[in-house]
Amino acid sequence: MTAPDRNTDGTRVVAVWLGHAPPVRSIRWLDGALKAAATFAGATAVAAGHQAWLDLAADRAARAGLASVGVPTELELDYLGWAQVMASVARKLAATTILVDEASRPERFAEVGALAELTDAAQLTHVVTLAVDDVTIHAARTAGALLQTVRIHGPAVIGLRIPGAPIDEYPTPTPSAAMRRLDLAALGLDPAVLAHRGLPPRASPLAHRTLERVADHLAVHVAPRKGS
Amino acid sequence: MAAVLVHIDLDGDRPHASSLQALAAGRAVASSWGATLYAAVIARDPDASTGARAPSHSGIMRLPGDARTIEAVRAALARGGADKIVVALTEAQIAPLWSAVGAAWQAVLDQLRPRLVVFGADAPSAIELGPRTAARIGARLFLRARAQGSELVELRDRDGSCVRSHDSGAAVVLVGSALPLDPHNDDDIDVMVLTLAGGSDARIELAGSVPAERVHATGIIIAVGDDVADDPEIAAAIHRLARVLGAHLVGSAAAAAIGLVGAGDVVERGAPIAPELCIAIGRPAIDVAGSASLIRVGTGGGKAVDGSLSGPIGIQLAELARVLEDR
Repeated sequence: MTAPDRNTDGTRVVAVWLGHAPPVRSIRWLDGALKAAATFAGATAVAAGHQAWLDLAADRAARAGLASVGVPTELELDYLGWAQVMASVARKLAATTILVDEASRPERFAEVGALAELTDAAQLTHVVTLAVDDVTIHAARTAGALLQTVRIHGPAVIGLRIPGAPIDEYPTPTPSAAMRRLDLAALGLDPAVLAHRGLPPRASPLAHRTLERVADHLAVHVAPRKGS
Repeated sequence: MAAVLVHIDLDGDRPHASSLQALAAGRAVASSWGATLYAAVIARDPDASTGARAPSHSGIMRLPGDARTIEAVRAALARGGADKIVVALTEAQIAPLWSAVGAAWQAVLDQLRPRLVVFGADAPSAIELGPRTAARIGARLFLRARAQGSELVELRDRDGSCVRSHDSGAAVVLVGSALPLDPHNDDDIDVMVLTLAGGSDARIELAGSVPAERVHATGIIIAVGDDVADDPEIAAAIHRLARVLGAHLVGSAAAAAIGLVGAGDVVERGAPIAPELCIAIGRPAIDVAGSASLIRVGTGGGKAVDGSLSGPIGIQLAELARVLEDR
């Protein structure tokens, strides 16, 4: 009997979504996601966005021994827009298991649920360890103060928070010929339609340097008071 | 009338504190927008598929479980400002996973078709349910917002994006904080029970759980460097800030040896952490670059920090805690 997360030919096809922009601070978590993906035979790394980011994604994927797909676009989309892009790539690759580098950018975790919704897959966020055997993916995820042990039996989108090796400096990537480019049209996506999920352009936020501004930043984290 | 729906996680036998914050924010918005505020709880009923409990739209809760607990939850949600309470019964074991409660939650969404769905950002289910809810209804998604304004209330996130009464389309908001409201006295509120045949998504099997190591914490971390750990003034201010934020302290074995952090809060040198927010004080020896948001105190910033404070560390931290306590 074919395992539930296999295609009709019995293969488990795995893709890892690296997102639309480079990590905010460190590529350690990007490398960790790629390393986790490399435990699956034939996994493919997928990134979207501007060229410099695609070059970096292709370079790190190649170092992890993974093939890569890039979707060049200048669009700035919300969580659901990027999930639509990745879901289309996943269909193109016939991927049944989609890993997501959840830790490299703060907004990325929201794409896990959106991708699962668009691909009708199970979802699991905040996964910190991953192992695989012939029929089951074994994961541990954080849930508040608990570490939950989970078995995944079918098509799934899995958000990873797994670090790679520490790395301070890395060579500037050069354009990669090995990365397979897929434009939006090739994915059956209309940029004009996709733009409905666009975000307004914003300047890069400046770091807060005063006590009042830092307090404003932290205000949405204030713990509930007793009795409230 | 538009519906504002608040997802309520339970913490033992009472609503989770973060869910009550979300309810407070939802109350402020619903009153401003002229909307009805629904508080929805998902509860386990092993007999849900037998149809023994027909859907009810009365003020009497006929629910499985301890009657006093049920009444305590109902009373807490009424005091928190809910206009109506929805209880979705599922055969699934309740867990903060979409695979466990997603089907029941979907039944609530289908029933109410809300314009605004609100979660407590720190409630256990928010991470799993919030984004998927937004994707399912094609909504805009706001991570960690708070209610602002008095007459025309809006929910605004840190980027400045906001949900307003005249916006078109649905929105899902994870509420990070809310001012406490005066307790509502209307105890006579409707309770609607939705019974759902079936249970969890069998593709995800929860096999067990154990306490997580601090290095896997995803909430708020205050990481203390050895260079500041032995200063009593700084230590007192750190503890005060940790209290107001509900943060965990982490540090080295040396910090544990002087009692600044607990023995279970020691993180190895160079270990990577990826919490939602990290406040790095002095020069902690752990790798904080995976933090979704990073504030540095006493070291003057660095690559891609969200904020930094220089100057006397103890004074800055004490003042920061005081300002946050007053909000």
